[in-house]
Amino acid sequence: MSETSRTRTVSIVTILVAALVCAFFFALSLGPTTVPFAAFIPDDMVGMMLTLFSGGDIAGFFPDQTSYLIIYSIRLPRVIAAILVGAGLAAAGTAMQGLFRNSMADPYIIGTSSGGAFGAAFTIVFMGGLFLPIFAFIGAIGSTFLVYAIATCNGRAPVETLLLTGVAISMFFSSILSFLMYSAGNSLHQIIFWLMGGFWNVSWDDVWLALLIPVGGIILFILARDLNILSLGEEDALHLGVNVEQFKRILLFVASALTAVAVSIAGSIGFIGLITPHVMRLVVGPDHRILFPTAMLAGGLFLLGADTIVRSFLGEMPVGVITSFVGAPFFIMLLRRRMRA
Amino acid sequence: MINVDDLCAGYGGKDIIGDITFAAGKGAFIGIIGPNGSGKTTLLKAISRVLDISSGVVTLEGRTLTDFGQKELARTVGVVPQETAMNFSYTVGDIVMMGRFPHKERFAKDDPDDYRIVREAMEVTNVAHLADRPVTDISGGERQRVIIARALAQQPKVILLDEATAHLDINHQVEILSIVRDLGESVTKIGVFHDLNLASEFCDRIVLMSEGRIRAIGTPAEVLTMGHLRDEYGITAMIQTNPITGRPLVTPLSEGVPPALRGARIHLISGGGTGAGLMYMLSAAGCILTTGVLSPMDSDYTAAKQLGIPCITVPAFAPITPAVCDALGSYLDESDVIILTAMPVGEGNLPNIRAITSARRSRLVLYVPPEEGFTDCTPAGDNSFLAAIRSAGCSVVSSRSSLYSEIERLVLVREHL
Repeated sequence: MSETSRTRTVSIVTILVAALVCAFFFALSLGPTTVPFAAFIPDDMVGMMLTLFSGGDIAGFFPDQTSYLIIYSIRLPRVIAAILVGAGLAAAGTAMQGLFRNSMADPYIIGTSSGGAFGAAFTIVFMGGLFLPIFAFIGAIGSTFLVYAIATCNGRAPVETLLLTGVAISMFFSSILSFLMYSAGNSLHQIIFWLMGGFWNVSWDDVWLALLIPVGGIILFILARDLNILSLGEEDALHLGVNVEQFKRILLFVASALTAVAVSIAGSIGFIGLITPHVMRLVVGPDHRILFPTAMLAGGLFLLGADTIVRSFLGEMPVGVITSFVGAPFFIMLLRRRMRA
Repeated sequence: MINVDDLCAGYGGKDIIGDITFAAGKGAFIGIIGPNGSGKTTLLKAISRVLDISSGVVTLEGRTLTDFGQKELARTVGVVPQETAMNFSYTVGDIVMMGRFPHKERFAKDDPDDYRIVREAMEVTNVAHLADRPVTDISGGERQRVIIARALAQQPKVILLDEATAHLDINHQVEILSIVRDLGESVTKIGVFHDLNLASEFCDRIVLMSEGRIRAIGTPAEVLTMGHLRDEYGITAMIQTNPITGRPLVTPLSEGVPPALRGARIHLISGGGTGAGLMYMLSAAGCILTTGVLSPMDSDYTAAKQLGIPCITVPAFAPITPAVCDALGSYLDESDVIILTAMPVGEGNLPNIRAITSARRSRLVLYVPPEEGFTDCTPAGDNSFLAAIRSAGCSVVSSRSSLYSEIERLVLVREHL
């Protein structure tokens, strides 16, 4: 990497981090009730930190108890979840695009979201929505394993076969989902809401689950150099010393685990995992060592922004509506530009 | 350096190639040729371990190929494929740096040594000036040089080229193959070639494959013969020698020859270049040719020499002595067919025609292409030398195809005698 592109990368990361920090505080402040920034500042910072780390109740350190409750119990978990889910989808999308050598790939391309939707709809219809995130997670990760198992022949799973199998399995789960929706009766609206994706039920429990996302992100970052080489093609990667089949297994597992976590927290939110990696690739270039961290920051920023907007101004509309609303035209623009190129 | 011993490999449990045995010494440039579907690329894939070997052994410096770890293999064998799809706009420098991957531990950073090796690889292949350009923006020839630079950055002991220049223009083909050839003694090169003349010019040894088997192996001159090309490619080809490099030069001929001519014994009397074409065609057809009398200055002589056709010679401007005439006579008597081409005739080569005595005229064919004819340079100057042989009613043909049928007829007549 040359000196100028290194400087450029550092400044882009700085801008993204700064924007994310600003958005974080604005998101905490904005909402049906606007909480002033002053309410964020504890009376005794050191004392609060000590209490926090010793597991005590820190409510008393804040000037306004109502504001504290809104921020700590409602907005903070939601904001953190939105950032992490956005980052997770962006990381998974980046990994899938690199693996499939196609900037039109997204985290759901091998059936992860339809598997998750099936799991969610299943518990909504038959178990009254009990353990919904767990069922969604199992459905999502299960469908990936299914796709991989079907696409593997003689220990090899060519990406083309993975892609086609993914499409077929997606279709299959979608048809079961349609059947479940058809026979869902009163719980139909619950399924539909889940499918559109949103954060309205997010609690601290979801945040603990979402902490798996940075872990997965770090693993992907470590694998970035291998992915760079794999993105040239499987045979080239073999010739350059990448253990292709093993690497694909790890990459698929991490990417679909990230996606499954995201889906189980927020449903299948569209287009974040498609657009963010693509845009960031235009900005920072295709090197995954830079692309993974920047795409994760940008994905977190994008989803946090979208969620804050629906939460504050659009009366809790599912956030998936807005990401797709922005995402679809962008996708078409991308397509047109590629056709002209 | 690299030994392939009784190798069999293929796809989906079905062997495409078998009984493959050859060796490549350190620094050698081996070319693999053969018609489409002959298993050239399959062989290369088996050597680069993209394809599993079903039986047989490949050894690199005495070690079995299967013993190598993936990264270790990449430090030993570099591959330049026919084309590398570039979906993402990595810079040229990034792509070449990827060649250092097999030398790096998981958490190791690119160090000054890596940058030096990458820069040197780019300088050898003349892409250093493109280092910061996106690889999606450069031409096909430049991209292929980048891929070679990447292979060089692997610092391999063997480079495999899978028709690495097949889709490039001739200038880039020569440029890239020159780069590869000039890598020197430290790198063994094995390349699959479509273009027989490029293989001939650049390779030390050539392996000719067909239907998954090796049909011939040896120097370009040993492998690129009319017979091999006829048997394996099914083409009639003219093999000359490149006067500059001494390598065989293959020109495929679009005109076919009837297989029935095989084994026909023919003596060709020609001169001034009027017989060279026939010599190539009739040799390709498998005729047993003799020719003469010719002088070494004649281009027909050069053709005969290249084709290894026995030729009665006299020094330029020297008379044809009675002894030479006797030699000619015995050639004429041994042949089924005598062909006389429309050549310039002077005092010097008149004995050639006089040797076609009346007893021999029944086997004579005059080959006079349209708009050509005998040029009489004798003092008489009236083509009177022709009168005698013509009066005997010998056949005159003006095209090669009618010549072939005339040869077929005469051979049949002779067999029935």
